[in-house]
Amino acid sequence: MRIRNRALPVGKISLLIVLLLVGLLVTGCTGIRGSPEGGSGAMIVEGTIFLSPSLAQAGGFGCSAPAAEGKLVALNAETGVQRWEVPLGGAVPSGGFGCAQTTTPVAIYGSPALYEDLVYVAGYNGKVYALNAESGALRWVYPREGNIDSIVGGIVIALDKLYFSCADGNVYALDAATGDMLWEFATEDKIWSTPAVDGGTLYVSSFDKKLYAISAVDGSEKWQFEAEGAFASTPLVDNGTIYIGAIDRYFYAINAADGAVKWEFQAEKWFWTRAVVFEDTIYVGCFDNKVYALNALSGEKIAEFDLESPVRSWPVLAEDRVLIATEEGKIYTIDAVNNQLGLFADLAETIYAPLSLSEGVLYVYTQEQNLHALNADTGVRMWIQPID
Amino acid sequence: MGIGDIWNLIAMQPVINTLVVMTHYLFNSFGLAIIALTLIVNGAMFPLTLKQIRASKAMQAMQPKIAELKKKYGKDKEKMAREQMKLYKESGVSPAGCLLPLLIQMPIWIALFQSIMRVLAVIPENLAGLSQYLYSWPVVYSTLPLSNEFLWLNLATGDIFLALLVGGTMWMQQKMVMTTSPDPGQRTQSTLMLWMLPIMFAWLTLSFPSGLALFWVTSNLFRIGLQYWIGGWGGLVKSSPKKDTGRDKKYKQRIAEVEKAPVGGADVVPSSAREEDVSYEESGDKRPDSGGGYPKSPRDTKPKSRRGGGRRRKRG
Repeated sequence: MRIRNRALPVGKISLLIVLLLVGLLVTGCTGIRGSPEGGSGAMIVEGTIFLSPSLAQAGGFGCSAPAAEGKLVALNAETGVQRWEVPLGGAVPSGGFGCAQTTTPVAIYGSPALYEDLVYVAGYNGKVYALNAESGALRWVYPREGNIDSIVGGIVIALDKLYFSCADGNVYALDAATGDMLWEFATEDKIWSTPAVDGGTLYVSSFDKKLYAISAVDGSEKWQFEAEGAFASTPLVDNGTIYIGAIDRYFYAINAADGAVKWEFQAEKWFWTRAVVFEDTIYVGCFDNKVYALNALSGEKIAEFDLESPVRSWPVLAEDRVLIATEEGKIYTIDAVNNQLGLFADLAETIYAPLSLSEGVLYVYTQEQNLHALNADTGVRMWIQPID
Repeated sequence: MGIGDIWNLIAMQPVINTLVVMTHYLFNSFGLAIIALTLIVNGAMFPLTLKQIRASKAMQAMQPKIAELKKKYGKDKEKMAREQMKLYKESGVSPAGCLLPLLIQMPIWIALFQSIMRVLAVIPENLAGLSQYLYSWPVVYSTLPLSNEFLWLNLATGDIFLALLVGGTMWMQQKMVMTTSPDPGQRTQSTLMLWMLPIMFAWLTLSFPSGLALFWVTSNLFRIGLQYWIGGWGGLVKSSPKKDTGRDKKYKQRIAEVEKAPVGGADVVPSSAREEDVSYEESGDKRPDSGGGYPKSPRDTKPKSRRGGGRRRKRG
């Protein structure tokens, strides 16, 4: 009788298992992103869209690197045809070895800002760029030499100054025309959110669990409010009240004058997106897949809408309708008068970037690197432009 | 519910939330939480690890006999395989004894690895994605996001010192279980494994966050400790044919203690059974074998003649 048994090559199989494990880790089968993707919302001024596309991921952790460097593009708002694009350089060494990246790509999360003839963007590589809005020519860069820590939030402009916050925990104020630093304000942890400005006060939320009110003129602190969890979302200021959600799953209404809590509302998961307000109702999306409609005065829940996917993108208000997108690519409309939910459009693409609205057109940039222009009334697609 | 959802539910979520809670109670130090959880998981898998080490050692101890077989039946592969299987059977050693514990442990290691990477959440995409893995425990939400600082390390970036430590401890661990085989092919394979894996992991460590390296180093140190407890420094020190020292007696005693402990069945014949002359019928265990099984001390792994070494080896 023939014996078919072969001795088990244990050593080889063990080696194979280990190599398989290592291979899984290296090829990114863990589903964890290794480098920042970015992808800003669109900013539309006088018929021109300014946008920083996301960086496509080439793989997972380990030797992966984004497929392209960051850039700022300007497009015709009516047609989606590109006017100019500027690659954003100034990459910094990542300090890695082996197959690690030798440069950090310029991912951009915050939407561009425009002031007079300049358009501004802040990069994850720790640089702020000011470019001519007409031509895309670089006017100045901050800092001129080297880099500060990662910038995740966007830029706000007031009083001829440009404000942004940084992962080094500082809020910076620059001269909008020259890029000279005017002052900086230190918090105790990272800041990933965009500051909000109202009157002469800047409101900044930090990972140190605090919301700060700072003088927009000289950076002096007015007050601070401490929550139970860190803040990753951007505050909304309306009618003397600051509305902001935190990682502790609470959504807070804070008196803008003294930092006292007016009310708080608890959700099932945390808040990432900024809220919008319509009359006396606040609408805010949450990572628990819901959008909450809250009474702006009392915090009482008026309605909740289950969208079956987390909400990361900032919503917009189109007259009396709230347009809000889920991560999985569905855009919903909520009639703010009677709080009725309807499906506005299904792009079937991942949406992280803030929605933008201008002259009856909704602009949505997706992580699949497409810019969609939709009729804000009907949801009908006007055009789609790949931007990579 | 897809396989990914099931994996997240039974593996990722418990580990991620445990890591965050441990960070909270360990002075908000994610580094300490990684070390503590790695030790706990290693401790929980102690019986499996022990079984794997014992089976590996037993397999290595058989290498001289396999080399003999290769010499004898080298050209007749079928006969060689048959004799090899026979040898395994007679010695009470199951080759699967090395693999099965490894296969069982792999998902746990992968879950731990993925959780560490997720909890680090250095970039916005990862922190935002983390929310889907969290339980509704208030302590979790008040602890996040975690600080990446630990000692001199930024847990989110690679570190050369940790890379060397990963490579060094891995080499040491492998060297401890390694024995010299008379078969040149086997020797080459062992040497390749001894050097290739540590170098590969050290190189990988440079490209991965140090948090993961911390997990690897802690795991390696745990296993080094375990192997030392079982069989001393093993291949790290040159064996000499001098008589048993007190240290060897201690090993034997420990091995006997370990083997008496119920660890879900052994793939090798307990040496304690042989030493204490427990009868096969009485114990209900595997038949005692004076020739095969787990060596009494590391020195027993030395090549030696097995002719007539045991009752079951007698043929014909």
